[in-house]
Amino acid sequence: MYGIEAINANNGWAISVVGITIVFSGLVVLALVISQLHKFLDLYENPRKIKNWFSRGKENDTPLETSAVIMVLTEEQKEIAKQFALLVRTMEDHFSLPRLLNLARISGVKNFHSNLNILLKSAIIFPDKEGYFCWDQDLYIKTISY
Amino acid sequence: MGSISDVLKKSIVFKSLEVTDLQGLIPLFERWELHTGDVITTAGETAQYFFIVERGTLLLAMDQGRSVVLSASGDFIAMELLSARGIYKATTTALENGVVFAVPRGAFLAFIQEDTPGAAAIMDAWQDYLDQRAGFVKIIEDIDVPAIF
Repeated sequence: MYGIEAINANNGWAISVVGITIVFSGLVVLALVISQLHKFLDLYENPRKIKNWFSRGKENDTPLETSAVIMVLTEEQKEIAKQFALLVRTMEDHFSLPRLLNLARISGVKNFHSNLNILLKSAIIFPDKEGYFCWDQDLYIKTISY
Repeated sequence: MGSISDVLKKSIVFKSLEVTDLQGLIPLFERWELHTGDVITTAGETAQYFFIVERGTLLLAMDQGRSVVLSASGDFIAMELLSARGIYKATTTALENGVVFAVPRGAFLAFIQEDTPGAAAIMDAWQDYLDQRAGFVKIIEDIDVPAIF
């Protein structure tokens, strides 16, 4: 018995399918391992990064410039926030914070440093990560009507 | 009132340092009290100090209207953030009362140029810190030349 007949008689098709599947799976796993190998090498060279993974959670607990909680402002602070809102309207969507501070100064906004700081802490003004800042209009409305 | 060692332990840049490295670094820092509106560095002037924040909010105004606000205890204001070739490139203003610890630029750069694990750890951590706080200022690829700050 030779050829196709022999293959059929001895489960040759099933064996070849299993063989192809095993080889293909092995190659896929090998490709995945090789594609991620640089990350393991990086960790091997910089073991401090492993420690950073565990400490990062703690760092994230400290808000940098944003907060999801609405800050309660006094009536005076709300009025000054409205003045800042007017100034921001004259600027681009992604505006320069030093320029806003300067505009507040020349416009005679009261305590412009500390009031700008309040807007940063309340996250009404937030960084765009490119060195400019944005105005969260929804949060501003919620904050001044709180 | 926090001590410089407490602040260094909280700092992303310095917290991985060994006690022996910290002992060499701590005497370099001096405590400055800040009041709202105080300007501690002016762009274009000779860079004399780097700073680590204990408390308060500081605005670093850079060129092209860009800026960074730093307020977390342990935030380090130095190198790419603050100076280039010995000249301040940012004007730093206190947005509220606070405290910073100032370290002479030359002494700090000398410390990180030493061939020690502590110096290497600071430079590694500095890159991570910069990524988190102000990735846009990362313009210098070769971190082995701290004198350019």
